[in-house]
Amino acid sequence: MTDDSLQSLEQLQALKQRTALEKLQALKKLQDDFYQAIFHPNEETIKQASTYIVGTDALTEEDRLSIYRDSILGGITAGLTGIFPVCVKLVGEKYFTHMVAGYLKEYPSGSPDLGNYGEHLPTYIAQFKPAKALVYLSDVAKLEWAWHQAFNAPDEHDLTVDSASSELEVESALKPVSKLKPLSELDHVAEDSFPDIRFKVVSSASLISSDYPVHHIWQVNQNDYEGGQSVSLDEGQAKLLVWRSADYGMRVDALNENEYRFIEGLLEGKTFGYIAEAAYPQALGEILQRCIQMGLIQSFSV
Amino acid sequence: MNERRFKHQSIAGVGLGLRSSHYQEVFNTQPDVPWFELLSDNYMAEGGLPILRAEKIREDYPITLHGVGMSLGAADPLNIDYLSRLKALVNRLEPVYVSDHLAWVSTSAHYTHDLLPFPYTEFTLKHISERINQAQEFLGRELLVENPSSYLNFHATEMSEWEFIQGICKSTDCNLLIDINNIYVSAMNHGFDPYEYLSAIPADRVKEIHLAGYEKMEHYLFDTHGYQVHPPVWALYQAAIKRFGAIPTLIEWDTDIPDFTTLRAEALKAEMIMTEVA
Repeated sequence: MTDDSLQSLEQLQALKQRTALEKLQALKKLQDDFYQAIFHPNEETIKQASTYIVGTDALTEEDRLSIYRDSILGGITAGLTGIFPVCVKLVGEKYFTHMVAGYLKEYPSGSPDLGNYGEHLPTYIAQFKPAKALVYLSDVAKLEWAWHQAFNAPDEHDLTVDSASSELEVESALKPVSKLKPLSELDHVAEDSFPDIRFKVVSSASLISSDYPVHHIWQVNQNDYEGGQSVSLDEGQAKLLVWRSADYGMRVDALNENEYRFIEGLLEGKTFGYIAEAAYPQALGEILQRCIQMGLIQSFSV
Repeated sequence: MNERRFKHQSIAGVGLGLRSSHYQEVFNTQPDVPWFELLSDNYMAEGGLPILRAEKIREDYPITLHGVGMSLGAADPLNIDYLSRLKALVNRLEPVYVSDHLAWVSTSAHYTHDLLPFPYTEFTLKHISERINQAQEFLGRELLVENPSSYLNFHATEMSEWEFIQGICKSTDCNLLIDINNIYVSAMNHGFDPYEYLSAIPADRVKEIHLAGYEKMEHYLFDTHGYQVHPPVWALYQAAIKRFGAIPTLIEWDTDIPDFTTLRAEALKAEMIMTEVA
């Protein structure tokens, strides 16, 4: 082969690569334009997306985009309805669908798993002006999201001494975290190390603190609830623990102030000593005992 | 192959798409269903009750995993995090088949959670073939790729959907999941002959068939997976079984999910056709 023909071969290859890149960019633009017309429909975005589409007398380009828009919003709304059924009951399907359309614009879904979508709905509801009168709605949504998270949370590993060391070594290699131990190992902790103990709350657990009786609101809106439907906002605040127990399944526990602070401290990774100094030492032993009995705490590190 | 945990490692006959509302019934009655299809995207969390239930089902039944999250038709790079989680799920549940669609669901890392069409061109054929190969390599196993239903055509399209599928079969070694309802819905929406489509599909690649119900709208058919299978789809299914043989078939029902008895009645119809024709 001559130098000339080599050179033109290289040029041809470069040209091919460039063309492929241009075509990929063109595909990306088509998909981005389509996305805009679905989630941010206005005259401009719809016009732009329509340029790619073959319209007919029976169904224009815009009609065809609408079929997809309805299908997409319907699917996502159905997904969120599954996660937030009480919110849907409280505001009605139509209202909820309207709220979701706005939520989607501000918080696009970043995960292929529809079950991961909805985390920010409580935040969106809190600043959603038309729902302002429903002061408790955002906190009910928080409770439902916490329930959904607990339902899907990883199971607690049955920590034997061996599995504890092998499973968690990877993590501790990255961070200087001491190894998790099962509670049966507590006997081997020297007394002067007690303040340094960090109890680990099961990973399904989260806390909800609300100025409104959201637990009661949530309860009366369960399908199997048999009782009076009225809830007075005067019932006041709710401090709740939402979690999944290996023995009892899904749970929502109402907490008193001490319990709430204690578990909050544990979730923040504080040591037993720190929590004990911060507040309520008189109740601490009893609360810890209860948490252990319930299975909320199954392991610790020192 | 590595040592397998579960005894059922192949599927035959007419299976059912398993939805969460049916779990209790399946656990209680141990129905005589040959296999179940699970939506992989519902079991992607690393733990939780869904996966525990799925494992319990897997003890007694062969399963397939069907997903919508791979976004094979997207211009974005493949989502490696998604593929990693899918791979972990595959290792955990040992599905007989893993399938996804000829469609895109995401762009610029934003997900629509719905199957969207793309133009069928020489470029997209090459692009998607490469992605199928990448995904198969990453997962360490073959994929089944499913034909979607669609409501629009692109000016840029250079070939028919069946020509595109023929091309995919030439440039990859993936197999096919043929959705008979989707063929019919698209045929009516775009005015092509569903039997011509069917006769163009490489028969040796078809490993699974889907059946579902559409909704008749004023100017188009809408694929809701929310109804019984319609008569023209049964007729097309008959032709498919004649051409492909007794390929494992699934009744899919995703919206307005009926009770388990209704689902099984649909499966029985498919079984009758399968036995008669094949």
